[in-house]
Amino acid sequence: MDNLIIESTQSTPSIMTDYREGTVEMRGDSYPENSFELFSPAMRWIEEYLAQAGRPLTLNLHLLYLNTSSVKAMMDIFDILEEAHQAGGRVTVNWYYDEQNERVAELAEEFKEDCSFPFHITSQVE
Amino acid sequence: MRDEKHLELMIETLLADPENEGNPLRYALEELYAEYRSLLHQIDRIMRISDRYQSVGREQKESIAGRYQKQLRQLEKIARISDRYQSMMRDLNEALKDASTKDALTGIGNRRMLMEHLKAETARADRLEHPLTVVLVDVDRFKAVNDAYGHEAGDKVLMRIANAIRDGVRDYDLCGRWGGEEFMIIMPEAAADDGAHVVERMRLAIAEIEMIADGEPVRISASFGIAQRRRGEHISDTINRADAALFDAKRNGRNRFEIAA
Repeated sequence: MDNLIIESTQSTPSIMTDYREGTVEMRGDSYPENSFELFSPAMRWIEEYLAQAGRPLTLNLHLLYLNTSSVKAMMDIFDILEEAHQAGGRVTVNWYYDEQNERVAELAEEFKEDCSFPFHITSQVE
Repeated sequence: MRDEKHLELMIETLLADPENEGNPLRYALEELYAEYRSLLHQIDRIMRISDRYQSVGREQKESIAGRYQKQLRQLEKIARISDRYQSMMRDLNEALKDASTKDALTGIGNRRMLMEHLKAETARADRLEHPLTVVLVDVDRFKAVNDAYGHEAGDKVLMRIANAIRDGVRDYDLCGRWGGEEFMIIMPEAAADDGAHVVERMRLAIAEIEMIADGEPVRISASFGIAQRRRGEHISDTINRADAALFDAKRNGRNRFEIAA
């Protein structure tokens, strides 16, 4: 399965996947003109990985600002993970935030609310 | 229902009775009864099929309602999170604006803020044909304080002087750190003489600042150059004249002000 390597731009985060490690990493700000276009490859990759790999998946997020459609996309991704978790898959989200900006942590808490899989919100000195 | 059962029972008894054998009505009744039974069976089937359709319809309705509720909840959540991101951005913007116009050490305006206000006040003074006065302030022998007591003491001097300037200006005046140990006061609606009154009080307040560094009292004073903008003059020329007046104040013994010619 091919890995995704999407470089960040000023308005989009970098998205990197690692099939061997079972990780997806997103880093940066996200206010793309077309969130669907940006996030659907990642969603497809996650769905395929969960269907094929039979191994745990970890999502490492270093996201700062998300516009509304990116918020929707992240919720869709978490829905996919929740479904996999309900079906017995091992999925984890690590949401890292800069300790200078506690409000990102509060926002991550909002996302976490409906998720029953392990969802860690961790401060990190960037 | 009980009547039906009763009727059926009666008919079945009549048909089974051997006494009725050969009665022409018996044959007709038998045929009619068979027809009746078959219709009853058909109605029963139709009812069952119709019930199933109804229950499929109801399930569909329920699943659509469920999905609708889920989408609604999701939408509310998206809006909530998105609102919070926006308010976070707004606050960050405020903080950035603050940082970009304030001097980090003294908390009064920085050069950028002064430049913006100089531009605005110049335009206003031209429009209303009102006077505008600019004052440059320089800390006397600041380098000596820094050399003798270190940068921390120097920073403290700058903060104390910034406070004295801020406390001394009139309501509509603006003050800021122009750079290094130099401050600027923008005085809208003020002629040079009006400015001089404010400046003189400020000079005295600064000279009275009591500061101790390394156990020794540190004498603090500042010199001032005052320039009233000439009509139509480019503001940078006004600043140059204030600077020249400041130079005169220094040359004439410091701890004093001079008004630009």
